[in-house]
Amino acid sequence: MDLGEFEADNSVSCRLASAIPDVCKTEDCCLGIDEAGRGPVLGPMVYGICFCPVAKKEDLKDLKVADSKTLTEAQREDLFRKLDEAKSFVGWALQILSPNTISTSMLQRSKYNLNALSHDAAIGLVQFALDSGVQLKEVFVDTVGPAEKYQEKLSQRFPGVEVTVRPKADSLFPIVSAASICAKVARDHSVKDWNFPEALGEVDADYGSGYPNDPKTKAWLLKELDPVFGYPQFVRFSWSTTQTLLDSKAVTVHWDDDEEDGEKAAARQNNTSMLSYFKAGSKTSAQQSNTHQTHRFFTERRLQSLATL
Amino acid sequence: MTTKKKRTPHSQNDRWVVVAADSAVEIPKKDDSDPTFIRLRNPSTDAASLYLLGSGDVQLYEVKAFNEDFHSWFIGQTVQRDGRLLYITPMDPLYLLLPYLIKAGKEGKFQPVDQVMMDEDFPACTRLLSCIRSQASLHHVAEEKEMGSVKFQRYSQERTMEWLKKKAERTVKILRKSNISVGEGVKSTTYVRVKQESETQEEDYLRYAHGLISEYISEDLSKALLKHLQLPELSSPKEVEPPSKKRKLTDKPLEAGEDYTKFNSSDFSRKPPKKMSAAQKTLAKVDKTGMKSMSAFFSPKGKAEKK
Repeated sequence: MDLGEFEADNSVSCRLASAIPDVCKTEDCCLGIDEAGRGPVLGPMVYGICFCPVAKKEDLKDLKVADSKTLTEAQREDLFRKLDEAKSFVGWALQILSPNTISTSMLQRSKYNLNALSHDAAIGLVQFALDSGVQLKEVFVDTVGPAEKYQEKLSQRFPGVEVTVRPKADSLFPIVSAASICAKVARDHSVKDWNFPEALGEVDADYGSGYPNDPKTKAWLLKELDPVFGYPQFVRFSWSTTQTLLDSKAVTVHWDDDEEDGEKAAARQNNTSMLSYFKAGSKTSAQQSNTHQTHRFFTERRLQSLATL
Repeated sequence: MTTKKKRTPHSQNDRWVVVAADSAVEIPKKDDSDPTFIRLRNPSTDAASLYLLGSGDVQLYEVKAFNEDFHSWFIGQTVQRDGRLLYITPMDPLYLLLPYLIKAGKEGKFQPVDQVMMDEDFPACTRLLSCIRSQASLHHVAEEKEMGSVKFQRYSQERTMEWLKKKAERTVKILRKSNISVGEGVKSTTYVRVKQESETQEEDYLRYAHGLISEYISEDLSKALLKHLQLPELSSPKEVEPPSKKRKLTDKPLEAGEDYTKFNSSDFSRKPPKKMSAAQKTLAKVDKTGMKSMSAFFSPKGKAEKK
């Protein structure tokens, strides 16, 4: 699999796709969606679709595609090669969501959670297939979140296409298994030779599976922590694993949308304490006249006089 | 997941990010006269403020800091926690001399200015006298007498007011030129008004200029200047308290303000307030003045015609 396009800039989301087989543009097709790399704290999350004419469903079975989790890495590589060779009737497309995309989406001011991110990636890929002229009739999806809601969302988004959302769809429908293999292979490749865009010198590549509970991953995260910047973009900052480590080991960074409470936060937001409304009127006005009120020219521009440097 | 972050206390910096007038950092002609920061009495707050003397104590500058929460600097290969930006801007030394002249002026005598400039808390204040503009501009705020080669000064309120008025007028010009919003309420700088409101703004500009100058003079002077500029004093709306709820005692018999008897009737049943849908809410907000009520359309025709 050629991931060159993603590796050129692995800080953003990237779409890779096979050529669209001609039969798919004329015959009714089925499409499977699956994802790889949802849980790891390291590396991208990959969404994959695979599609073929409904009539050719059985041919997929002959390729012996099965749920990617039950296969060894070598078997997956082998199966992906076979899928790619079957380009006369099988097409695939991938959406690689870089760890940086995941971090910045989930940690931005208006939070964009992983489920929404996943759904949108899936929708984007189905739309891509439709835009490429694939005659979609059936879509099979492994679920993210509650299956019924997801199915309803997809059905509404794509009227005229029969959508089936099932947990464990990757072991039930060969077309979903095929999609899962594409996604998994892409994810493995990108993680294996991750090209660190940061100037870090030699980075220890022994980071294990990338899952938070992998001891190798944990050790790597502890070792690579920079007190100011935290981690390279390879790490998902929005994972609680990362956040716990940053909170305890890195320098504290305050953002203006940090949730604060207590008196200090109230003072920061210029809130008046409820108690002040119950004080005698004369007292508060006396306090006001005592303190010098800086002119708004300065307060609006956040300019202050200094007593010391 | 939100964890409470603790703020570590600020450590002292030995580095600042500064925007300064070129003249402030010019290499001085004499070797021992590098620009220096000094603490002087702020004429407005009476507390210490930071100033800078440049070019061998010839020029005075004030130091202001842009300071907003949640800011830090990346400087070269380092991080600076203090996200402040210091501005060093030229300042008229007369503002700082003025409080001393006023104080001495209360004695009513003509005195040489170097006798007047004494401050136990801020001994550096005598250095202000070496500024180019100091000696030359004293006549703006004081009457002068010359005896031999020595000059004597006495504070003059009239001269000071005229001087401050000129300052205010010059400030108005600058405010107009730099398009600063001086009216009440917030205006976006990108917002373009179709009509230029010119007359009403004149007073706003002058008041704004007065407010700015008041940052550099005592409160008493500020009030006197307000009068001199013939600006009426504004009463702050903040201090207006809602009327007291207590009823005043009268001899007249008291009457109930509201009628609660309808709640006692048998057919009265408490209806929960109806929840309105979003659409109903927006409809409820529509300006209905001049509209007929819906029921008017269903009243008997004859009756409507009579009206």
